[in-house]
Amino acid sequence: MKKILLLSLFLSSTALQAAHHGTHDMADMDSMGDMHSHEGHIHEQMVDGKELAVDPQRFDQFMIGIESNAVAVVSVQGMVCDFCARGIEKTFGKDKRVSKIDVDLASGKVLLAFPVAADIDKADIEKKILNNGLNTSTIQIVGR
Amino acid sequence: MVPLFLSVKSATKVLTLSFIGIPYGGMKTAFIILCLLVATHSMGRPISYVGGHTIMANSGPQSDGVYWHYTPNINYSLGLDYQRDKISDESFSSARLTYLINRKNTAKSQRNLYLKTGVGLNDSDNHFYALTGDWETRRVFAGFSATQTSGIGYDMFEQTLKVGIAPYLGAYGDFHTWLMVETKKNDMDDDRITYPVLRFFKGGALMEVGYHKKTDWNLHLMYRF
Repeated sequence: MKKILLLSLFLSSTALQAAHHGTHDMADMDSMGDMHSHEGHIHEQMVDGKELAVDPQRFDQFMIGIESNAVAVVSVQGMVCDFCARGIEKTFGKDKRVSKIDVDLASGKVLLAFPVAADIDKADIEKKILNNGLNTSTIQIVGR
Repeated sequence: MVPLFLSVKSATKVLTLSFIGIPYGGMKTAFIILCLLVATHSMGRPISYVGGHTIMANSGPQSDGVYWHYTPNINYSLGLDYQRDKISDESFSSARLTYLINRKNTAKSQRNLYLKTGVGLNDSDNHFYALTGDWETRRVFAGFSATQTSGIGYDMFEQTLKVGIAPYLGAYGDFHTWLMVETKKNDMDDDRITYPVLRFFKGGALMEVGYHKKTDWNLHLMYRF
């Protein structure tokens, strides 16, 4: 009985997650089909002579509503767990200079949007990442 | 004073139904309250982000307790716990320190080594020392602990090993599930016990539940804020 309960817990969680993913993907496709502005797109963009290391589709989705902002694309090491990455959102959420945050576990990237007038301090970003027990490998700024 | 704690069985049933059926937005307050009600000696994430608070609750064969810790620095956390030691049948509060000995971050993994210690606030005869470590990627987890516990009238050394796999890779903010197996042995009992563990987490809340016919249920709850 108790093993059945453990098994049912697992099956329920997997089914719940599968249903959530299906709905999420369709919603993304619908929203992308309704608009196509070139501002904020980063197809084949280079930054400081290096290819921008971020998923273009995810970046475009992130830029919706903040097309005029500059974005710091932060490559983070050790960010392998959602539970452990929670602090990144909380830490940067307290920073009034940051207008939007995106955490991508799959690519190990954190996107931070700053209004065009805001100062982007790379050292401060690295320190905040470190205070979450993680390390920064690269920070690329788009839109400056 | 005997604290009013939910039994592990009833807490497990409540949480199972909650994680499956109740919208997450309504869970936070209930989860924190449940952590306070279900008490134990915890083993979860011992150091949070700087400025972070974590509350944990565990129920297991050795003890039940609730534990709060605060992380002032990435290298250590300080905390207080209250536990009911089932071996000595004593209840007491302890001050605890966790120190990060070493951490290695790579693009796809993190490895940690911690030293933990705690001492009873009213009686230093209640204390423990532990060396714990873990290594994980988004798909695989492996962890160990070696703990020397001293209680009123007994000493115990226990070793545990836990491995796990994520059956699916959730995105940030999703509901995550891990399938795990834990094995443990202590010097008060000749038998090694090995049992399955399910770990769930979403947002700042984590629940881990395991079962073995000898020790019955193990339940671990955590909320980080």
